[in-house]
Amino acid sequence: MYDFVRGPLFWASAIICIAGLIYRSVKLLRLTQKKEIVLCPVTISPKDKPAPAISAEERKLDRIARFQNSVIGQHPVMVAVSTVFHVCLFASPLLLLAHNVMLSSAIGIRLPAIPDGLADLMTIFVLAGAFFFLIRRIAVPKVAAISSAYDYGVLFLTLMPFLTGFLAYHQLFHYKSVLTLHILTGDILLIALPFTKIGHMVFFFFSRLHIAGEYCLGRGSRTWNT
Amino acid sequence: MTECAKAKVDSDTIVEILDQKKGRMRACLDACAACSLCAESCLLYREKNNDPQYMPSYKVINTLGRLYRKRGRVSREELEQMQQLLWSNCVLCGRCYCPFGIDIPNMIAFARSILRSQGIYGVFPHTSGSPEAECKEIDATGN
Repeated sequence: MYDFVRGPLFWASAIICIAGLIYRSVKLLRLTQKKEIVLCPVTISPKDKPAPAISAEERKLDRIARFQNSVIGQHPVMVAVSTVFHVCLFASPLLLLAHNVMLSSAIGIRLPAIPDGLADLMTIFVLAGAFFFLIRRIAVPKVAAISSAYDYGVLFLTLMPFLTGFLAYHQLFHYKSVLTLHILTGDILLIALPFTKIGHMVFFFFSRLHIAGEYCLGRGSRTWNT
Repeated sequence: MTECAKAKVDSDTIVEILDQKKGRMRACLDACAACSLCAESCLLYREKNNDPQYMPSYKVINTLGRLYRKRGRVSREELEQMQQLLWSNCVLCGRCYCPFGIDIPNMIAFARSILRSQGIYGVFPHTSGSPEAECKEIDATGN
């Protein structure tokens, strides 16, 4: 079992994951088209621009009001936990020394590695973040109102490789069994990544950076076909 | 019961309309992580004492989401429940904010167009009249 999950199953899930992410990205590209650029026919020189009608104090108040009404101002804890959770979720498995040693021996490529203690701390952040999301999903009425079994399943799927990885690293319970479970849940997560809600990572970057709109953070060079 | 209230649901038409924007709408629905961060961007949610039924994601999941999940096979009663969410609970002001960049107003407008194809309308921007009152008007005027 151990040899199977770390051998053929791992390579199959890694290929499915990469192919699935490419498929999802191409699908989004095909659902959108390049935005037509409309050039303004009149150029306004800086001299012709009207002087700002509001004072520095008013501008400061405007900035404060904007911040308070933003998602960070409204939900500072959620935004902080979510940011740390997602950074650790990506960085800890990719930069873990043990993973990189295996990757290097298999295909000769390795990423920069972080100390094991730091990776362990990042894993704890992921577990704490997942616990926070779970409690929020159960206890906050607005989140509970839109939560389905699927949402809980996705959270469980994301959490499992980190929980088993943490247990394996600290050699709690039967090491070989926990390690096998860790690799197996990791493989399942890789396969599920492009085909479930976890694939929101592709949509997030595509939508917020490339789709033109009020909340676009990038160039906004594309628009939906329909 | 009026003629309008007896009207059956034309699922084929619903499926036809759903298919027109299937790729985009499914991509948006799949991307929703049900985080509820869109809630506070809705003025009605704030106005109605944070009632989750006014949350933008709640409206989309329980209307358009349900139509896609059930592949258009919905009852008249379900469509009338959706009418409440799409007209009574939404003014379509376009101020919904989604951290993932999901265009919620577009989805609500699309769901409204599906309901209109089944003769279900909102009589005022933010009030859907009672089905009986609307049916009387439709039966009387033929529109």
